[in-house]
This record gives sequence, C-alpha cells and structure tokens, in this order.
Amino acid sequence: MKYKRNGNVSLLLFTLPALAVYIIFKLYPAVSGIFYSLTNWNGLSREYDFVGMENFVELLTDTYFWDSLKFTTLYVIALLLVANAAALILAVAVESVKKGKGVFRTIFCLPNMISMIIGGYMWQFIFYKVFYYMADNFGWKFLDKSWAGDSKYAFLSIVIVAAWGCIGYLMIIYMAGLQGVPAHLLEAAALDGANGWQKFWNVTFPMIRPALTICIFWTLNSAFQVFDVIYSLTGGGPGRSTQSVAINIYEEAFQGNIRYGYATAKSTVLFLIIFVITAVQLKIMQKKEEEL
Amino acid sequence: MKRRKRAYQITIKVLLGIVGLFTMAPILLALMNSFKTNGELLSNVIALPKALDLENYIRTFDKMSYWRSLGNTVFLAAFSVILICLFSAMAGWKLCRTKTKLAKVIYGLFVFSMLIPFSSIMIPLYKVVLSLGLKNSLAGLSLIYAGTGTSMAIFIYYGFVKSIPIELEEAAAIDGCSSIKTFFLIVFPMLKATTATVCITNMLWVWNDFLLPLIVLSDNEKYTLLLSTNTLFGQYSSDWTAILSALILAALPAIVLYIVFQKQIMRGIADGAVKG
Repeated sequence: MKYKRNGNVSLLLFTLPALAVYIIFKLYPAVSGIFYSLTNWNGLSREYDFVGMENFVELLTDTYFWDSLKFTTLYVIALLLVANAAALILAVAVESVKKGKGVFRTIFCLPNMISMIIGGYMWQFIFYKVFYYMADNFGWKFLDKSWAGDSKYAFLSIVIVAAWGCIGYLMIIYMAGLQGVPAHLLEAAALDGANGWQKFWNVTFPMIRPALTICIFWTLNSAFQVFDVIYSLTGGGPGRSTQSVAINIYEEAFQGNIRYGYATAKSTVLFLIIFVITAVQLKIMQKKEEEL
Repeated sequence: MKRRKRAYQITIKVLLGIVGLFTMAPILLALMNSFKTNGELLSNVIALPKALDLENYIRTFDKMSYWRSLGNTVFLAAFSVILICLFSAMAGWKLCRTKTKLAKVIYGLFVFSMLIPFSSIMIPLYKVVLSLGLKNSLAGLSLIYAGTGTSMAIFIYYGFVKSIPIELEEAAAIDGCSSIKTFFLIVFPMLKATTATVCITNMLWVWNDFLLPLIVLSDNEKYTLLLSTNTLFGQYSSDWTAILSALILAALPAIVLYIVFQKQIMRGIADGAVKG
C-alpha cells in the first residue's frame, strides 16, 4: 500500500506538466464550451441565463449552418474517395518501380510539406492566371471559367487543391503498408497462377487493411475540420457557397457580433460528429489489434 | 518475360513522371513567375523568366518582415516541439510503468481527448487565452500547442515504453537512482526513435498550422511566416509577381528542411500514423 501511494506521488510529478497544459488548453475549453452552449451568454457581460436546448433548437433552422454542414459532408465524401483512391494507386505504382523510387516519393509528397494557405494562394494563381492563359492561347475552352470564383466549380476546385495537398501524405502511409506485405505470399500466389489483379485483391489488399483504416479516418477527421484550403482559395465564397463548418464557426466567433452561447452550440455539434467518427475508429483499431 | 518487365518499368516511370510534373506544376509556375516583371507575367505565364531578377523578392522580403516572421516561426515550432516531447515522454513513461487505478484514469483522459477536435474548442480556448493574458504571446502559443498535442504524443510514447524491458529501470532503482535521474539518464535516451517521430510529426503540424496563430496573434511583430504571407496577399491583391515571390519565400524553409531530412520525415509520417 505504501509503495502504491509512493507510485502515485511519482506518477503525479511526472504527469503534472502534461496534465496542466492539457487541462488548461484542451479539457477546460471543451467542457466550458459545452456548458456555455446551454446559455445565452454574449461573451462579455457578467450575467447570463440557462436556456437549455434553445441554442440547438435555433440551430435546426439556421440555414447557413446547415448549408455549411452539407457542404462539409460532401467535401469529406469527395476527398475520401478521390484522395484515397489516387494515393493508393500512386503508392502501388511507386512501389513497383525498381530504381528511383525515392525520387517519385519525394515529388509526390512535396505539396504536403507546404501549408495549404500557401498552396491555396498558389492555386489561385493557377486558376486565375494560368488557366485563362491556356484557354486563350491553346484554345482549351474547358478551362475558360472562374474556377474558384464560380459557385458551380468552386467545390471542385477546393477538392482538387485539397487532394493535391494530402495525396502524398496518404501515399506514404499506403507505401508503408505495402512494404509490410511479405514477398513470399505474392510469389506463392503467382505460382498458383494468380494474375496481377488477383494478387492485389486477394493478397495485398487484405494485408494493407490497417493502412486503409488509418488513411480513411485521417481523411474523415481532418476533412470535417477543413479550414486552411477554403480560407486561402475561396474564403468561403462566392456568397457562402463553400463555407465549411469550421469557417462558419470562425466567422460567427471572430467576425462581427459574437453570440457566445450560440457559437459554442455550433462547436458542440461539430464535436459530436467528430467524436462519433473517432470513437468508431478507435473501436475498429482495437478490434483489429486483438485479431492480430 | 524480361523484356516485358523492362517495358513495364519504362511505362510506369513515364506515367509517374507526368503525374509528378502536374504535382509540381503549381510550385514550379509560382517559382518561374516570381522572377518576372508584371508585364512579362501578363504576356506569357508559362514561359521561363527572361532573367533571374530578384526585384520582386527584394520588394516583398522587407514587406513581410521575413527574418522576423521566420524567427517567430522557428521559435514557435522549436519551443512547442520541445515541450510536447518532454512532457509526453515523462507522462507516457510513468503512466505505462505505474500500475495503479489513478494511472489508468489519467491515461484514459489523455486518450479520450484525442476525440476533441480543435475547431470545436477554439472559441472557449480564445477566452482562456484572453483571461490568462496570452494574446500575442509566442511562448503562450507554444503552451497551447503542448496542451493540444500531448495526448497523441503520450499515446505514442506509451505504446513504445510497453515494448521495452523494465529490467534496466529496476536495476537503476536498486542502485538508488531516483525516478528523475532514471528518466533522464536511462529512459529518455532509449526513447530516441520515438522522440524523433513525435518531433517530426509535431514540427510539421506547428510549422504549417494557420488557424491557431490567426486567433492568438494580432500584433504583426509576432506574426509567423504564414500570417505575414496572408497579410501581404491581402495588400497586394492583384500584383501577382510580388505575391508569388512571397509565397516562394514562405514555402522555402519547409521545402529545404524536407529535402534535407526527407528520409526521417517519411519514416516519421509512417510511424506516427501507424502508431497513432
């Protein structure tokens, strides 16, 4: 018993720095955010009332918020499919290269090293200058539109730029998964007369399932919080057509009149969505680990 | 068979080369056009510049207070990463080695908080920043990064500590070595590989993070590279030669570090993702 208590003292000593910053800058904000979402606090005055679920009821009829939620969901689905498919194909292709694998890997991963703020501004140059130039001089009329500035194409532009930014990152994870596939399994399959596609589908694919799970949930988690690429590419516009939930919350909180209770209610909804996604992910990973 | 394999190698390299060119195109086009005059840029955006004229760079270098912004970013990234590695290694090790209920509860709390997304706490966090007087403080911002980054890092350290034998630590304890000494002299050096992973993933995160500094820093003396670039973009709305040179300047440190440390970075990404 005495040993145990000593153990706890030493434990607290070693975890104190991490616990302190964690409680102050993560746990307390999270808990207080949920608390304030049940009030009508304006963020400044001393007094506020408990309003129960009123903020959430108001959210139900807030079309701006729903539009941003709809936009974000579509964005998540698009990025999930596009970026992961492209990253997996690239990973398989780069892995199959005998000499010079590293060069390709370096090139494909480069956009990931640059912040999407810089990337988004660079792409604005591509959309507003280079594409028009090509449309005018090469006759490529399909480029002759305001990509990031027209609500019809802004969504597509954002997905393209976001995929450009994250494919390299996903590719690295898929490549690590592919390197874990034992060569003798593939050789055995080849001896049994499996063709390339069969080898991939029946041997490689089941072996890289953990990498797939990681990549899918990484995309889900980061795409639901998308901010940078939209901020730099369209600013949420034209109008509010490309406003993501994070952009919507940012505008509610830091631009114009802030209604603190209402803004935290929005945050709470986003929190619940990501909470469910991540909880499912942890459960799946745990199950996978037990199976192994 | 051999010939088919060679044909495949050539085809795949050509295809990957084309995709690679498209991947690099936005960065290469930005680089090429950053050396041009405005007239040159307007007449042909895909031609190489006539001369390597640094005029645009000289214009934007001072405008974005390059050295100061870079210094702020380096300080922020370095201090945040040091805090995250140190705090998380200490906590991760002790949490793994202590077999009490309290240890389980604390570890559970850290793991649980990986479920809290940043965008859902930014408003209350801003209140905390204001009430602690951390607005415009780079050191304060590092503490926030430590607060939001430690849970994942603790998770990674915890997993690694579980895989290393405890005997060495027990021997040290029998020799009368204190916990703190054991940690710094024996355990921390053994965690080197994990520390490298944690260090790289968090460095990339802090270096490229935009939203948190945007909220916390409003004084341009404290601006990071990204914030300075963002401001400059707003000021030079259609002067693309200036903007592009600023974008290249802002991206340059990350690209240089990437080219120098690419092996470590790739391994860091793969390990960090697999263990996280």
